Amino acid sequence: MNGSRVLRAEVFPILASACLFLALGAGFFLLEGHAPVALFLEMVKSAFGDSFAWSETLVKVAPILLCASAVVLPAKLGLVTVGAQGQMNFGAMAGTALVLSMMNGSAWVVLPLMLLTASLGGAFWGAVPGVFKARLGVNETISTLMLNYLALQLVDYVVHGPWKDPSNLGWPASANFPDAAILPTFFGSRVHLGLVIGVVAALILHVLVTYSRWGIALKVMRSNQRVALSAGLNYERNVIIVMAISGLLAGIAGIAETSVMQGRLQAGLAGGYGWSGFLVAWLSGQSFLRIIPMSILVGGLLSSADALQLFAQLPSSSAIILQGMLFVSALVVMNWVKLRGYHA
Amino acid sequence: MHIELRGISKHFGEVAANADVNLEIKAGEVLALLGENGAGKSTLMKILYGFYQGDSGEIVIDGTTVEIDTPRTAMALGIGMVFQQFNLIPALSVAENLMLAYPKSPWWQSRHRPVWSTVLENLTKLARDIDPSKLVRHLAIGEQQLVELAKVLNLNAQLVILDEPTAVLTPQESERLWALVRQLADSGRSVVLITHKFEDVEACADRVAIMRAGRLVEVADARGKTIDEMVTLMMGQHQVAANPSVKSPQKDIQKLWIKSISAKDRRAAIVDIELQLAPGEILGIAGVAGNGQRLLADAVAGLAVLDNGEVILDGEVVSRLGRQPVNPNRNSKIGYIPEQPLENGVASDLDLTTNLSLHRLVGMPFFPKKQTEQAQAQKLIDEFNVRPSDPTKLAQDLSGGNLQKLVSARELSGMPSLVVACYPSMGLDILSTRAIYEQMFKHAERGACILWISEDLDDLLQYAHRIAVLSHGKITGILPAASADRQTIGLLMTGARKTA
Repeated sequence: MNGSRVLRAEVFPILASACLFLALGAGFFLLEGHAPVALFLEMVKSAFGDSFAWSETLVKVAPILLCASAVVLPAKLGLVTVGAQGQMNFGAMAGTALVLSMMNGSAWVVLPLMLLTASLGGAFWGAVPGVFKARLGVNETISTLMLNYLALQLVDYVVHGPWKDPSNLGWPASANFPDAAILPTFFGSRVHLGLVIGVVAALILHVLVTYSRWGIALKVMRSNQRVALSAGLNYERNVIIVMAISGLLAGIAGIAETSVMQGRLQAGLAGGYGWSGFLVAWLSGQSFLRIIPMSILVGGLLSSADALQLFAQLPSSSAIILQGMLFVSALVVMNWVKLRGYHA
Repeated sequence: MHIELRGISKHFGEVAANADVNLEIKAGEVLALLGENGAGKSTLMKILYGFYQGDSGEIVIDGTTVEIDTPRTAMALGIGMVFQQFNLIPALSVAENLMLAYPKSPWWQSRHRPVWSTVLENLTKLARDIDPSKLVRHLAIGEQQLVELAKVLNLNAQLVILDEPTAVLTPQESERLWALVRQLADSGRSVVLITHKFEDVEACADRVAIMRAGRLVEVADARGKTIDEMVTLMMGQHQVAANPSVKSPQKDIQKLWIKSISAKDRRAAIVDIELQLAPGEILGIAGVAGNGQRLLADAVAGLAVLDNGEVILDGEVVSRLGRQPVNPNRNSKIGYIPEQPLENGVASDLDLTTNLSLHRLVGMPFFPKKQTEQAQAQKLIDEFNVRPSDPTKLAQDLSGGNLQKLVSARELSGMPSLVVACYPSMGLDILSTRAIYEQMFKHAERGACILWISEDLDDLLQYAHRIAVLSHGKITGILPAASADRQTIGLLMTGARKTA
């Protein structure tokens, strides 16, 4: 590939998406009666302006990155899953069950076990639609979507019922996690182990799907199941494995949010990270490498919500609106480039 | 009608489909237009039919230069063409199909019985036995072709172009068509028969025009040419290799036992198929396409759901009742060349290296070395002459014939005990066909069983040890190739006779 083609294929779509996004965002700010340029600069500053801004952005990057990996891996097998949100909830619930049963355990025991049970919980919640898909051909997008609501309601149920801590004075949440059940954080900020796990997982998965026999097998199974079958590849088993690993990653994101950010299990723990992860995965063209910078970008966008609130008195949900605009811009530009590519 | 094509050239991109072709078509003659796939025969005739426009050259009919810009113009000039893909509406009856194509029938008369006799006149002459009220989808392929021919004749065509008409026919149907073609010529019409089969030329042609690589290389009296001469002209300078030879199989040992298997899916069914093969035996499966060949091949290769029976290879069950378990070792034992390689044989959006290593994928090291794999792929590509020869190209960029070679290269490169090959020469020229056959028969020589599904009776008769005929999902007969003849096989294809 020569230089000008790289420019055409890679750089141009990114620049064009960015321009469209900025134009849409500027329009949104103007409608709200604010000067767009100043506000955009303020947003950048509050996301990446100093070390505190960076740390708060990275805190959001961790779950986004894990959830994005949870979308990219099934996509390598041609599966479209939107289940990260539910897997976060279920994983967090499984991890919390362990913590609640070992309130006085030492960190060396509780933390690994908490991560393990949360992983298994997430993996279970991912494997269920995987089994449905593999054995019965149930559409994985629909079933993961439905299971999101189920997991959400389960968490709601336990924090209103069996696990509700009376000392919360009616607030539906579990008991606070003991210090031994708080994931380690770094640099005196809230940046936690989840970020490290997210980056390492993305890198390992990148190497596996790009260079390993398993990665080739996934490509073959995505491309032609009949041929894969005659090559002796077990599509059904791989669907379940891939969906379980995907759920595992989201489960870790869930327990990390619960442990570090909330310090207890409560409803709404997943925020919108499952969805943000889905957007990041698609914006990155389902690449384990590209989701890392893209997660940082989207994480920055979300953490600049405070700036919008502070400087422009815009509600913090404005950041979600901007995230939607970013996704739409990128999709429009990418498809436009693709269409033009076929004619050129 | 006397037609002259003068200096016709046609380019598709950089490929010259026709280069300066001069051809004369005389009134009342049958002209066989002979050539390999891609020699430019169909393109030339589609230019005459107004389907394509030539880049240069002119068409002269009875001394006048004419401009044929659409098929409609061609039809008005009395030129009709029957394509390989028929243009019939399956849900309508024969008469309704003919009526639709009949320009002189005003729409309000289309259900008016008296017009029908005019419309049906040509069909009745061609084939009295086709019931005009029958729905087209209930007709055999050969009958549909005759309906198409009647459509063309209804347009008062003085020149009828038939594109590979016998490719889809049973021997009996072919014979009937040859007779009809002769009949048309005797009534003063001209017929151009686009074909790559010598039997078409021998059976009914007056003259033969041979094309190679877009050029007309020879026009001669059909009776003045031997098959060897025609092959040489079609293939050009290439030395035509001697026919591959096959050893006779070891007798009295049973290597492959297809044990009364039955299976069905949405499109086909096979019923109670019982076959036994000795080591080194080549068993040809003859039959008109769509009679259960694909399902039989899948079932034997262990890829289909069996309702009954099992398949035993070397004393080991490779296909059993019910859904087949995923078998990672299948590929080391069975080489399977499926029909329609693009859908069934390759991962089309992956590169040739991956596609050529699929059968070894399960046994590869966890991190395969890219260079090693590419080198292996390059070796197979060169050995089987796949074009383009770049292992990083995607499978979907290959032409049909090259895909066929690609799949064959993969499936015949190991040491299988059984080769199941469906139409392995589909889309290949004579040289490539022989090369594939040689690779296939090499395994028979080693002692592997070959289950060879083909529509080419001549090849089956020449190379197979025995020929089983498949009709409506059943084996209607098994004949030793040495004593089999086209007539008997043709009858069996229609399901007419059962021999022990």
